[in-house]
Amino acid sequence: MTDYFIKKIINSLIIIFLTLQGIIYFLNQKPLTENFSQKKITVENFSTIVLSNSGITKIGSEKLNKIDDDNIYLEGESHLENKEYKIYGRNISINLSKEISSSDEYVEIINRMGLLKAQGFQNLDYDGKIFFKGKVEFVISK
Amino acid sequence: MVLYLFFFQNAHSESYVKAGESLIWDSENKTYTANVDVEFKNERFIAFADKMVANYIEENNDEIFTIIELFDNVIIKYEEEIFKGNYAIYTRENNIIKLIGDVSIESPTRILTGNELIADIDNNKRILNSADKESLVEVLLENNAND
Repeated sequence: MTDYFIKKIINSLIIIFLTLQGIIYFLNQKPLTENFSQKKITVENFSTIVLSNSGITKIGSEKLNKIDDDNIYLEGESHLENKEYKIYGRNISINLSKEISSSDEYVEIINRMGLLKAQGFQNLDYDGKIFFKGKVEFVISK
Repeated sequence: MVLYLFFFQNAHSESYVKAGESLIWDSENKTYTANVDVEFKNERFIAFADKMVANYIEENNDEIFTIIELFDNVIIKYEEEIFKGNYAIYTRENNIIKLIGDVSIESPTRILTGNELIADIDNNKRILNSADKESLVEVLLENNAND
């Protein structure tokens, strides 16, 4: 009779321990999921390489904000760089699927011709065209 | 003094393009298009116009302007001369500037007008054509006339 009760208690304790372990596991998983989601939305001091039809483009920024699967926003000092140019600006929007980047803020571009300064830009990378807005000064290297 | 001369020389030899409204870099067609209050300077002359289209080539990992087209209210200052017209095209290969439409050439001593001006910078030769009489006027500058 005593053995029967001891077995019952042991079984109950095993069930309680397993339940507690399950709860602990569940609680540990929850915060990890939240952190992972946050990293997908905003990343600071970000730098990466994007491979597109126009080649490899290096992207760097103080803060990267992911808007959706196609759109990212480079907040603060940011740069885009490929074999044709280096663009240094602030607050740059990028549409990855359309290969378009743009900004309405002061920008500097270095290419093989020289140094260009403008008040904003729209880069149609797939088309090989960059539109510089406002007053533009392009100093040509010797 | 040496530093002053160095910077002074560099400032005067600087080439640039300025635009008042926009500039488009088309790397597919190898052109730069500047719009509104355009100013272009190279080692030879300084030009002003409402619009500029500059063609370039890639050479030894550099980009070099080959043909410059200027549209509307064109003014080109070369040494003591001022060329004006509605359209101009400069070819770097032979250093010739061709202006078309209400053209004038102004020097310290005279002003000549016509319909087409061809300025051969290397050979210091100017050819001014008039649309009305289809006449050809060749203007020799003073330093050439003295030769």
